[in-house]
Amino acid sequence: MVNALRKLIKNIEPKFTDDGPLQRFFPIFEATESFLFSSDEKTKSGPHIRDSVDIKRVMILVVLALIPCYIFGAINIGVQAGIASGKERTLFDNFVFGMGYIIPVIIVTFIAGGFWEVLFAVIRKHDIYEGFLVTCALIPLLMPPTIPLWQVFVATSFGIVIGKEIFGGVGYNIFNPALVTRAFIYFAYPTTIAGDKVWLVGPDGYSGATALSIPAATENSNALDLLNNVNQFDFSWINMVMGYIPGSIGETNKIIILLGALFLIYVKIASWRTMLGAILGLFFTAIVTNTLAPFSSNTMLSLPPHYHLVMGSFMFGVAFMATEPVTSAHTNRGKWIYGFLIGSLTVIIRSINPAYPEGIMLAILLMNAFAPLIDYFVVQKNINQRKFRYAK
Amino acid sequence: MLEHYLSLATKAIFIENILLAYFLGMCSFLAISKRVDTSIGLGFAVTFVLTITAPANWAIHHYFLEDGALSWAGLPEVDLSFLNFIVFIAVIAAMVQLVELILDRFSEKLYHNLGIFLPLIAVNCSILGGSLFLVERDYNFMESTIFGFGSGLGWFLAIASMSSIRYKLRYSNVPLRLKGLGITMLLTGLLSMAFMAFSGIDL
Repeated sequence: MVNALRKLIKNIEPKFTDDGPLQRFFPIFEATESFLFSSDEKTKSGPHIRDSVDIKRVMILVVLALIPCYIFGAINIGVQAGIASGKERTLFDNFVFGMGYIIPVIIVTFIAGGFWEVLFAVIRKHDIYEGFLVTCALIPLLMPPTIPLWQVFVATSFGIVIGKEIFGGVGYNIFNPALVTRAFIYFAYPTTIAGDKVWLVGPDGYSGATALSIPAATENSNALDLLNNVNQFDFSWINMVMGYIPGSIGETNKIIILLGALFLIYVKIASWRTMLGAILGLFFTAIVTNTLAPFSSNTMLSLPPHYHLVMGSFMFGVAFMATEPVTSAHTNRGKWIYGFLIGSLTVIIRSINPAYPEGIMLAILLMNAFAPLIDYFVVQKNINQRKFRYAK
Repeated sequence: MLEHYLSLATKAIFIENILLAYFLGMCSFLAISKRVDTSIGLGFAVTFVLTITAPANWAIHHYFLEDGALSWAGLPEVDLSFLNFIVFIAVIAAMVQLVELILDRFSEKLYHNLGIFLPLIAVNCSILGGSLFLVERDYNFMESTIFGFGSGLGWFLAIASMSSIRYKLRYSNVPLRLKGLGITMLLTGLLSMAFMAFSGIDL
């Protein structure tokens, strides 16, 4: 069976190469081939890297790290819907129920992303990059389960084309395409995704304020007291870690995200410097706002740092979006600065910007824009140091 | 009082960034942002000139052009505010010349670093825009100085980040027709989307 398939592919290959009638569509052929079989391409000139890690492996490892988020996301949709409508369901039923909401989003994302990737590959004659798999795997996790599918389609198209393809595809982009997609929906259709009301599948009209918007909406109060007095949802610290709260599909369970992050650090895809820098930045800024809290009517300032850490999608964003190797800072010292500023900005936007209850997405997007500048200064400083040291 | 000035500066630098929120000073932004060191030089020059012209224009507007400003000369009915534009432009051009002369005399190094950009600033619309905003928003002397400085710093931030992005883009595979200005315009849009993080902050 496999041999027959391999034979078939070898037979039709000449049609796509050099002078074949279908040479325009070589990228599609190439992608299908490398999807079915491992590449038999060998490097003919140096350097020869004796490591099986290439872009394809890296991308697949990231997708692997994301799969637990999908599974828990599906279960959580079911659990939240059960709470909202007062029905008890088994774990498996919850999973099936949630998958009913997640799968359409995944399908639409992959259709939109795949369409643009293939179109650009065919017209611009480059290979189909596996990178779009990661982007398309990230996008549904950033979406609320109730998102209208046409918005997913439009936003994914925007994110893939403007965020990535016009720069030449994977590895050349400046902004994280999944984040551009999320930001596009955020600014274009604020009513569906603004983040001040919870997203859950429930009876019509059933809604409530999110954990982040409760302290932001009340003045002259203590954030912790407010959160502990919410009757509708359980916004205790431990429950927010366990993830049984309404939210975007992939962001809620912090333990799974932590495991995914550790996995990515272990396989050396994500940078621990960026993650640690972001957490340090978050703690530092939150402690500063906590000390300022008694002097202000802004309740959000009094939210303690360990709550900031588990609320919203901070951990998801830092683990999977901020560490993206292409758009983050490239130098080691730059990664510390980049991560620290992301954490710090997140708290600042959450605390003092009444327009946005959550800040991590915009913080990463902004730091994406400044990452090359950070790198520039780090490199320049190094050059000057060496000049000073040696060129006397 | 200090708090008020601080929030005014933050507003001018981040929230209402003169380039990314009002799209002023686009022409030199697009033209100069090819190299990081020159755009940092230009950013400094713009900050410098904005910090000087904003209070100067405020003084001229306040003591000569505003409705009833000439009452100190015994002419309370005279309203010369229709001259705002032309006088502001003249003041900016004169200030740039003055700054050039002073720099040439006292700090030759900075003068040579800024080079051609110094005279070019006279036609940078963010400078004129800054002066017109301070008239429209009724700032006082101290506020205009801080507003001018903040706007300049915001412009500096925008052009510095754009130039480093374009530096990185040299290795990208941008479609032929989008190379150069096209991709820079798109990037400016994405950049101002990222700066929307600050929009809505009420200080």
